[in-house]
Amino acid sequence: MNVFFQSLLSGVLVGGVYALIGIGLTIIFGVMRVINFAHGDLLMLGMYVTWGLFTLFNIDPYLSLLITAPVLFLWGALLQKVFINRVLDALPQNQILLTIGLGLVMSNAVMLGFTSDYRILTTSYSSSSFRLFGLSVSEPLLFSFLVTVAITGALFWFLQTTDTGQAIRATAQDRDAAQLMGINVKRMSVLAFGLGTALAGIAGALLAPTYYIFPQVGGPFTLKAFVVVVLGGMGSVVGATLGGILIGVTESLSAVYVASGLKELVVYVLFLLILLFRPSGLLGKSRT
Amino acid sequence: MPAILEIQHVSKHFGGLAANSDVSFDVGLGEIVGLIGPNGAGKTTLFNCITGYYPPTRGEVLFKGVRVNGLQPDAVCRLGMVRTWQKVRPLAKMTVLDNVMVGALARTHSLRVAREAAREQLHVVRLEGKAGFLAGGLPIGERKKLEVARALATRPELLLLDEVMGGLNQSESEEIILLILELKRLGLTQVVIEHDMKAIMRLSDRLVVLNSGEKLAEGPPREVATNRDVITAYLGEAVDA
Amino acid sequence: MPPRALLRAPRGFSAPAFLAYLAVILLVALVPQLSHKPLILHMWIMVFLAIAQGSAWNVVGGYAGQYSVGHAAYFGIGGYITMLLLEQHQVAPWYGIGLAVAGSLILSVIIGSITFRLRGPYFVLASIAMAEIIRLAALHFRDFTRGAEGILLSGIPPLTTPWFTVKFLGKVPFFYATLGLAVIVVSANWLVQHSKLGYTFQAIREDQDAAHSLGINPTLHKNLALMISAAFTASAGGLFALYVRFIDPNIAFGIDVSVQMVLICIIGGIGTILGPVVGSVVLVLLSETLRNPKWLVQAGVMSDESPTVNFIEAHLSNAHVLFYGVLVVVVVLFAPEGFLGLLRGATARLRKRLAARRGPPSRPAAAA
Repeated sequence: MNVFFQSLLSGVLVGGVYALIGIGLTIIFGVMRVINFAHGDLLMLGMYVTWGLFTLFNIDPYLSLLITAPVLFLWGALLQKVFINRVLDALPQNQILLTIGLGLVMSNAVMLGFTSDYRILTTSYSSSSFRLFGLSVSEPLLFSFLVTVAITGALFWFLQTTDTGQAIRATAQDRDAAQLMGINVKRMSVLAFGLGTALAGIAGALLAPTYYIFPQVGGPFTLKAFVVVVLGGMGSVVGATLGGILIGVTESLSAVYVASGLKELVVYVLFLLILLFRPSGLLGKSRT
Repeated sequence: MPAILEIQHVSKHFGGLAANSDVSFDVGLGEIVGLIGPNGAGKTTLFNCITGYYPPTRGEVLFKGVRVNGLQPDAVCRLGMVRTWQKVRPLAKMTVLDNVMVGALARTHSLRVAREAAREQLHVVRLEGKAGFLAGGLPIGERKKLEVARALATRPELLLLDEVMGGLNQSESEEIILLILELKRLGLTQVVIEHDMKAIMRLSDRLVVLNSGEKLAEGPPREVATNRDVITAYLGEAVDA
Repeated sequence: MPPRALLRAPRGFSAPAFLAYLAVILLVALVPQLSHKPLILHMWIMVFLAIAQGSAWNVVGGYAGQYSVGHAAYFGIGGYITMLLLEQHQVAPWYGIGLAVAGSLILSVIIGSITFRLRGPYFVLASIAMAEIIRLAALHFRDFTRGAEGILLSGIPPLTTPWFTVKFLGKVPFFYATLGLAVIVVSANWLVQHSKLGYTFQAIREDQDAAHSLGINPTLHKNLALMISAAFTASAGGLFALYVRFIDPNIAFGIDVSVQMVLICIIGGIGTILGPVVGSVVLVLLSETLRNPKWLVQAGVMSDESPTVNFIEAHLSNAHVLFYGVLVVVVVLFAPEGFLGLLRGATARLRKRLAARRGPPSRPAAAA
């Protein structure tokens, strides 16, 4: 039983970060209807920025969020303005290819600059943990989870109460109607892509103390982000939050009860089942 | 007149919403039936039910005496019933001739035979001059004609036309009206959804009026036009407009 | 005035084009007679394999418009079945590849029946997930696949026929085997484009619902396109594994294998016969040159001392995927119809200019 609760706990903690990745992807999809296949690579950039700040200036990874997030936001806004913006009306296939291409450029540029060696960011607390109710709680995972909760909360507040947040939500609901209502849809798109990128970068920063850092690290996260988003319903922030936690838990439980090598396989099978039987996500209304 | 299409108590529900409820009427061999009604009356839904895009929730559709509800659209087409789309759906990156050939290939495996048949249909709708153009680049009037030619190329016995005159100017509409009448003369049975009342009165042997998913009236155009229910539900607003 | 159709390809059989095609094949087939330099032959083999893969993907992705980004599943299953049969059961590869094709057909029916219920981006995601599931399974079930360790080939038995014997030593036999496969797949694309099947596939690509109303069964034909595509992809996978004499789950089922197949078609020109051929040449030349520029030396284009070769070796040997990425971005933004599209656009403009000089434009010719 203890094993069950232990893996449930670590599943929830990791799931928080997955949620963050998923929220970023879902905001981008919601506002622009573009599926961002470079999402994991944006996360990878967040990892490298954090790693760079840590090794060069000895800035703590959690503190470096204050730099990583704005840097990634600007990077995302730039990508949207220069590239994504040009294919908003193109075939979805071409949008997908463009983001795949951008992802390849990012991961391989990093590889050229920093080689494909695995980097480790070791902090004093990287492997420390404490016990709570007989369960071992990893400190960095807990920190990350708390930061995730704080950021998700702030994001909800932003989307619900601020004018800009509401404009973003209106654009996500109906792009044309939003335009008619005088919302600057182009600006919202730039904001949304920046925001989504920043969230991916934050997730990367939060994972940096506990993960190997290498140029190709993003790929699996891209896929996982899709699973999270589809699970929660494309475009739904609440759905992505729950989806992230659900995926985290599924992974860690299947690592224990199925096989550790098959945890991702279980997630993908779940993904296919959702796509086939609940295409609008677990929370979404089923389509007729 | 023997019925080629029998629609019996067809209902279609989307969730709790009834798009069609208990609609029944027959279409006789060789006649033109006009299907009219205000926006959202369930005309296109009825076409979708008849041609297999979704199964009716209740009721039966018989084509040439064969039960077709539950069949897929491609099977319905091969049986000899074909529809056009209100929002035209050209195969944009194929040429006009290729578009019509796709229709013709429903009846043959030979590209040569299909190409001949397609040229013939293009001639019927007077689009032969555009055979080599990409379908996606045609103006709306010609797209509508292409839609008809492509449907005709499948050699239907019953043609369902969904607002083929929508968005056309007077002379283009006139061309389509003459085309429909010419097809009728050649013996083709047609069901026509149309908003233009003048056109539909001129074309139809019989009118069926739908309102809020239900059949409101049925009969010869003159009779329907004087029906009090129809006037209040639909014709009134159309005459005003 | 609506734009005139850029003629996708000449319709029907054209004797001069066919003779030109044969002549090109014959000329290429003479290459090993002229040069035995291994790096040169290696380049050709990689181009042939890329053509086979790209043209195979083109059937389902280009003609039927189903953007599978999970074709590594078929490539990998082809490689694994061929290698496992040869290494563990001593089944000669020419039978092995046949069985691999059979396996890929079964797999394509399974994957197709799941993924073709979905459309657009959801289909893309599902196709990726399927390939990833297989890759993860191949990594995990070590007893069967040897997991991440992979399968190393100890040797290929000679092929003995009543007339001749082929020993699979060196690159020449693979040159002809991969050339043969490439010719078969390109010819298959021609056959598809010039048959009812091609019209059916393209109609589904352009508008599935409209196609359905015109008597086409989309599910059946999407599956057919996938089966054709999977069979050829698996053959390429089998030949590839035999050629490099090694296979592991990432080489066989990695997502980059799937992406490359899409790229070949996008870069050359999707849904055309020549597109994947052009795309393969561009992509392979680029990536192999960056990976190992020494072939330029063997080809006599550059000297051993050339600073370019040294620079590439020193700095760019890891950059070939970066160039892929840049190429994709540029093509999607500026030439969404690929190199062939650019070429067609250029010739159309040229023709228009010539026509304008000659006199008033005549009625556009029909596509026949």
